[in-house]
Amino acid sequence: MKNMVIRASLKNWFQLFYVHKFPAAGFKTTADGAIILQSVSNDIYQNLAVEDWIHDNINLENMQVLFLWRNLSTVVIGRHQNPWQECNLKMMRQKNIKLARRRSGGGTVYHDLGNINLTFFTSKKKYERMENLKLVVKALKCLRPQLDVHATDRCDLLLNRNFKISGSAAKLGRTAYHHCTLLCSADRFLLSSVLKSPYKGIKSNATPSVPASVKNLFEEDPTLTCQIVMDAIAAEYAIYHQIDHHVTLINPADETVFPGINNKTKELQTWEWIYGKTPKFSISTCFNMVYKHSFLEVKVDMDVKHGRIEVCNINLPEEWLPPALCGELEKNLIGSKFCPSETTALASALLRSCPQDYEVHRRWNLFCENMTTTLM
Amino acid sequence: MGPPVSGYSPRSGSQDSGASCPLGRQGTAWLGSAASCLVLPDLHITSAGVCTATTAAKPIPAHPGLPSSRGRHQAAQVRCPWANSQPCPCPAWLEIAWGRDLQPVLKRLAGERECKPDNIKAPLSCSEWSSPRQAHRGSQPPLKVVESSFSPSRWFCPVRTFRFLTVPHVWYDPRGSPCAEGCLVRSAPFPACPGPVSGVRPHAAAAVMLPLLSRSRCLSRALNALRQGNCTLARCSVSGVPGGQGLACANSRKFVANNSSIFAVRYFRTTAACRNDVVTVNTPAFAESVTEGDVRWEKAVGDTVTEDEVVCEIETDKTSVQVPAPAAGVIEALLVPDGGKVEGGTPLFKLRKTGAAPAKATPAAAPPPAAAAPAPEPVSAAVAPPAAPIPTAMPPVPPVSTQPIESKPVSAVKPTAARAVEPGPSKGARSEHRVKMNRMRQRIAQRLKEAQNTCAMLTTFNEIDMSNIQEMRARHKDSFLKKHNMKLGFMSAFVKATAFALQDQPVVNAVIDDTTKEIVYRDYVDISVAVATPRGLVVPVIRNVETMNFADIERTINELGEKARKNELAIEDMDGGTFTISNGGVFGSLFGTPIINPPQSAILGMHAIVDRPVAVGGKVEVRPMMFVALTYDHRLIDGREAVTFLRKIKAAVEDPRVLLLDL
Repeated sequence: MKNMVIRASLKNWFQLFYVHKFPAAGFKTTADGAIILQSVSNDIYQNLAVEDWIHDNINLENMQVLFLWRNLSTVVIGRHQNPWQECNLKMMRQKNIKLARRRSGGGTVYHDLGNINLTFFTSKKKYERMENLKLVVKALKCLRPQLDVHATDRCDLLLNRNFKISGSAAKLGRTAYHHCTLLCSADRFLLSSVLKSPYKGIKSNATPSVPASVKNLFEEDPTLTCQIVMDAIAAEYAIYHQIDHHVTLINPADETVFPGINNKTKELQTWEWIYGKTPKFSISTCFNMVYKHSFLEVKVDMDVKHGRIEVCNINLPEEWLPPALCGELEKNLIGSKFCPSETTALASALLRSCPQDYEVHRRWNLFCENMTTTLM
Repeated sequence: MGPPVSGYSPRSGSQDSGASCPLGRQGTAWLGSAASCLVLPDLHITSAGVCTATTAAKPIPAHPGLPSSRGRHQAAQVRCPWANSQPCPCPAWLEIAWGRDLQPVLKRLAGERECKPDNIKAPLSCSEWSSPRQAHRGSQPPLKVVESSFSPSRWFCPVRTFRFLTVPHVWYDPRGSPCAEGCLVRSAPFPACPGPVSGVRPHAAAAVMLPLLSRSRCLSRALNALRQGNCTLARCSVSGVPGGQGLACANSRKFVANNSSIFAVRYFRTTAACRNDVVTVNTPAFAESVTEGDVRWEKAVGDTVTEDEVVCEIETDKTSVQVPAPAAGVIEALLVPDGGKVEGGTPLFKLRKTGAAPAKATPAAAPPPAAAAPAPEPVSAAVAPPAAPIPTAMPPVPPVSTQPIESKPVSAVKPTAARAVEPGPSKGARSEHRVKMNRMRQRIAQRLKEAQNTCAMLTTFNEIDMSNIQEMRARHKDSFLKKHNMKLGFMSAFVKATAFALQDQPVVNAVIDDTTKEIVYRDYVDISVAVATPRGLVVPVIRNVETMNFADIERTINELGEKARKNELAIEDMDGGTFTISNGGVFGSLFGTPIINPPQSAILGMHAIVDRPVAVGGKVEVRPMMFVALTYDHRLIDGREAVTFLRKIKAAVEDPRVLLLDL
């Protein structure tokens, strides 16, 4: 049964060769069964879905795949990370930077069109991250021999012994893949500002990221563009696996090539995956509010599991807001998603159903506004 | 094999079963002899701790007092091996008998015996011996007794008949977790039970087997297991079931028992043992000489997994390694906390193999349809009819009565029971499911009801000819887009017209303050525009509409929409509002009455634009028409004002020049 499925998908895979770029003869020469794919999409969710699809559907016993892709501005967190700990969600919303959770481990990275992503698919047996990185280093050396690039034990690539240009992550399931980023001309300023979390007092056992100072390849050599680097890596990969240097362009939205991929894309975009998969954490913080020349301190303690608030304690000065209203908010927050829009909607619904009083309104608004901005 | 223990005699009393017996100590030995002696037909354990085998008990015919349950319930005869006034040494028995479903039976029994409820509680909380199995307890009651033929007079009779429904076949080590297939079980003596027999201390049975007591369900599961191919002995059980003996013999032979104080039972291997096997899954070896990683659980205790389903991921040095379940089953225990560190080879979790059938059936899930089993039920006593030759002749047509159909008095018509619907998700399934109302929904419900209770709501209608405004939009939309960089919609016309009408009829913009019995007139016009988003209905507010022109309104709506899309709407954006416009037309609503949003006094409902024949200048013409509805609080607003207000809106939308001329 299982064999059938794999064969069926392989058939599809072959179709992909025939239908798109590869002449039949060209395919026959690839005894090793290595191919190079490049995504035409710049959508993170679609590209991650391709990785997923290949991981789930392709028998990689006798085949290896290199997948090249680039994304629009996105922050990508590791499978077991906490987005509130890793990035500035508010800023990302304002700047329209997407957030994605990938299926591999590791830390948070920032992508934009100046960053290349490489995914090396192999069988679990052949999974060897250092080999892949050596290949990348070799490609870069071929391109610009003067570049000082080397791989570290952490599977990072360092430029000039100091600056990180590439980070790795991997997933070992039925098959294996190793993917890494490569900074060519990314927005370094945005990168560092977006990867700074403003949220304080989060306690969790989520995987923390290891920050590093980064540099773009093009800062070292302005002639290096993404396209040149990608071509060089593809060429090196082709030489390594003794195949023709053909890059097959794929469209991750094409259901005929990747049956079922759109569901995978959708799943990667759901709140339940991106935020809901956050390991349980607790947040314990206090913020200050200035209201009509008075100064007050609010303490908030929350436990969040699967992205939903499980325990909630808000400590407000008693006379400032009716305790009943505050208690109602606490009660209502339990079970709701830990996200500003949900909290805001809840707060406004609550407010509408409470006795109308201008003063209470103003205070309530200030309080809720502060809460959503400082917490979420 | 020793001879079976003979000489069962009624116990002389319940309370005096000996201080040495844990059960007796709790004053509840009656249960020890009732519930704890669910002895299998083929296996008896003597007080000296020797396993002996007897011939299997005969299946007992169904109890006459019970509805016929052939194929579903199976009677079993059980005996108390310690009935001859020896202290009951074996909490393990109780362990087996224990189960949530047993409780009502025990309670009923207690009632028959006029026992105090205290008597029941104690043995049911035998935590001191059973703590290692607590986790298991929660997930799957070991035994379900559905009926028993106890009667008060037979209370102390050592032979009891229990009726069982689905008895899981598990080997239990009384002190530990259920044993794995073929494992060696060694029982340590119970210190609380000094042996009465010639210095040999009695011991709890190392492991006790509950044989196949039930038929149909277990069988279908056994068949499942068979089909899965993970159980070679299933065949044996299947063949053994009809007589209830084949299996018994097969199993009894496997006992190796001796008279030493610590005895061992080897090679338990039955269908049940195979199927309910508990395996401990270890951490796989990591690639690339990585030594340790963090565990991230995807499943929890009690979850059902299929073969190859990912149970957890281990994150080692930026790599996430999936750990799949080796077989279908139920997660019995997680041996590492979430986020805990493991090395290659560390035990990770325990899995109880269950074959294909999920052991923890959710109430919503339909029971596995019996028909799903491909094999015909070999258990059922009825022999399958021999295949008859295919008939060649047509069956005779029954003679049609020549008499007219007699009428029957209604009383003579007997209701026939509707045929039982086959379980399972069929097309016409009449199931229902309940979803907890979220707090937001509760809030909305409460608020709407409050509005209905306080306001005297009344709705007035009108219709608007949209041809003028459509023409205006068609003519100016390009230049509007060029200058303001946004599209011109109908919303701005309605918002502006409403603001105009609100200024004309200030009472519609006012609200009653119930606490002070005052009417609050607002000199500003803040219009809430209800917008449906994927997350639900949000009501952002356009403020000071009276000072805005069409372009300002469109811009504000666009900005609020953009904010809503980015989830950046603050409460302030949604707070307040003196009047609401709700556009059901985007969903195609032709006609409807909106409901007031307190603290407001009126709401305008827009609807779909539909081409309709209308009389224009004495002729029938087809015009794009829209119904509008105004729901208002009649406590404050009179009909005249409301109607005038709505007509004002109609006028301003139909001919926006009205706004210019302030007519």
